[in-house]
Amino acid sequence: MSERVFITGYGIITSIGKNAEENFHSLTQRRSGFGEVIILETIHQKTLPSCEVKLHDEELREATKVKTGIGFTRTTLLGLYALQEALASAQLSATEIEAAGLLSATTTGGIREFEKYFFNLLDLRQEGDFVQFADTANPGEHCEHLADHLGIKKYIATISTACSSSANAIIQGAQLIKSGKLDCAICGGTEALSKFTINGFNALMIIDPGHCRPFDASRNGLNLGEGAAYVVLESEAAVIRKGKTPLAELKGYGNANDAFHQTASSPEGFGALSAMNAALKTGGISPADVDYINAHGTATENNDLSEGVGIQKLFGDTVPYFSSTKPYTGHTLAAAGSIEAVYGMMAIRHQMVWPNLNFVQQMPELSIRPITELIQQATLKNVLSNSFGFGGNTSSLLIGSI
Amino acid sequence: MTGKVQHFINGIGIISPQKNFDNQQFLTEISSYHDNVLNCVTPDFKNYINPIQLRRLSRMLRVGLSAAIICMRDARVTTPEGIITATGYGFLEETEKFLREVFDRQEKQLTPTFFMQGTYNALAGLVALSTKCMGYNNTYVSKGFAFENAMQDAMMQVENNATANYLVGAFDEAASVQYIINSREHHYKREHINSLSLFESNTPGSIQGEGAAFFCISGTPSDTTWCVLKDLRITYKPENAETLIKSLTEFLSDNKTSFDEIDAWISGIAGDTERDVLITTLGKSLLNKTPQIRFKHLCGEYCTAASFALWLGASVLKHQYIPEIVYASALKIPQELNTILIVNQYMNRNYSFYLLQKNQVPRYPAT
Repeated sequence: MSERVFITGYGIITSIGKNAEENFHSLTQRRSGFGEVIILETIHQKTLPSCEVKLHDEELREATKVKTGIGFTRTTLLGLYALQEALASAQLSATEIEAAGLLSATTTGGIREFEKYFFNLLDLRQEGDFVQFADTANPGEHCEHLADHLGIKKYIATISTACSSSANAIIQGAQLIKSGKLDCAICGGTEALSKFTINGFNALMIIDPGHCRPFDASRNGLNLGEGAAYVVLESEAAVIRKGKTPLAELKGYGNANDAFHQTASSPEGFGALSAMNAALKTGGISPADVDYINAHGTATENNDLSEGVGIQKLFGDTVPYFSSTKPYTGHTLAAAGSIEAVYGMMAIRHQMVWPNLNFVQQMPELSIRPITELIQQATLKNVLSNSFGFGGNTSSLLIGSI
Repeated sequence: MTGKVQHFINGIGIISPQKNFDNQQFLTEISSYHDNVLNCVTPDFKNYINPIQLRRLSRMLRVGLSAAIICMRDARVTTPEGIITATGYGFLEETEKFLREVFDRQEKQLTPTFFMQGTYNALAGLVALSTKCMGYNNTYVSKGFAFENAMQDAMMQVENNATANYLVGAFDEAASVQYIINSREHHYKREHINSLSLFESNTPGSIQGEGAAFFCISGTPSDTTWCVLKDLRITYKPENAETLIKSLTEFLSDNKTSFDEIDAWISGIAGDTERDVLITTLGKSLLNKTPQIRFKHLCGEYCTAASFALWLGASVLKHQYIPEIVYASALKIPQELNTILIVNQYMNRNYSFYLLQKNQVPRYPAT
């Protein structure tokens, strides 16, 4: 277990950009994707604005050059969109792709199409175009479509640990590389807005109809978002063999469970603390070496308190820069971990800290506050990226500069 | 590619369409099914879950949590170091209930219970909560590879911490929605059969099964050890029988095991004339001299059915006995059963190989 794991490419699509470049510009210009829902048909289009990718399925299909009628859901199409950028940026050959692993995360797979065609699919007398979406209640279906389309054969896995899913996909990819089972792992997550998800979170009463305010005393819930991001992980041996210059190093990671409540985090921040601690430990660095935390920061009352307390416990009086980028992208659930890992890498590459939008009022329970203005010419070597979810799942990634 | 650490199965808890939840009998009482759907024979949940909690849980969460607790009692572990679960379709019954509420109430005034209980990681979270396990926690939902991904994850965890106990669980329910929708891909037989005659049916499609099975994996043997899980590998969509044979040959040679050393193999044949072609060829070629065991007539076909096969293989090694109901060869069963190979397949897409060995140290205590 001594081999290092490097990140040699990434791809991303969110409501603030169709690729890494566009996402970067939006982050620097405080441009958020929050707004009225237009593409998904729901009664909440105006009442629960979200961070929607403003591309219709047809446009995604054309851009990714996927044939019609072969069962590519919006989840799969968003995933493919980001994957194509990731593979191009890592300059992987067809042979390398075939020998790679694909670890993709989702919370609900193709539920958007499943809910759309639910009654058609269940009535076996009906035939038609919708039949291509027959297996969309299966969350692993999107990953097989992606693997088949890209020609990935060696290893495929779909991970679903609610809102920490894609962070865990990245962790598992790193473990497979360290154990020698893979040389290259393509890891991330993809998430499409659906009625199922919007109504589920709305029933839990944790959606803010206004723009979310992470770590603010007046925060009132999250905004949902959609998107996808994948990173290409390669072993140290592969990087040396190919003479590649990696973009960053995946130095450490932590996966833990809060074991407090099915849908809530402990007010003591136990899970957050142990995930971050484990990430520092596997990375062999101390808290003082962390320069920036991209917080999970969903803007729910519960998460930000638990996470904030966890951060204070770990860092004491010298808390590094921290911010949540959820006001830009919304909470992209399964994709949040990989999207924010990409933002963490961008922070390191550009030596910038992304501002936490909409923060005004200090939380009385905390003594720490997020960064609210863009910091340029920062010195960032190590970045933590947190992802927490229902079921008590907490994960933290430690990304280091090269 | 296994490290020096061995992977011991130190406990099992299974709830399946056969009565095997008590870990006492080994297929002495067989249930048969006649409508192509096999449902779990369940224990009295009160033996494992307190009554207040029990009322709040869906059927599959009860089944899953009970299987996890049976496993930990069997392994004599109270808090594992990590929990990893696997499922194909998750809690589809709850997902369906929530969706129907969304439709019926036109997205208004919904309650979140079914939404929460339909989350794929709900069981892993519940087991963590029930065992106060704050360690590693993960859930795989990779169709016919979910259980294999989960088990490989646990094997890697154990390689880094040989004294730790990892709880690996599979669960899938025979949801009616899945039955209807998968009928579009002719996943199930058009005609109703007696489940025990699955392999004589000679028609396309299989039968729908379900189950939950948990395994306690550790790098250290104990006096509850069932067997050693030597290695595990997946093969995705082999183009033909030759590719499958090549993958299996490589798997065994990487594990320095010859075909002569395999005392019996467990076949994931699903009684489906269309999708059994490759695995049947394997039985007629490479493995034609190896005693064959079959199991899907007992548990049905589902994404994580390999977990039933793993229970079966571990039981054969522990009890040193192959029950007649699963034995599918005319070959003589070896006196000593030391090595078992599982070859499973799901929908002729997801193939997996498991290599199991009898535990040599320490000896099993007299039972």
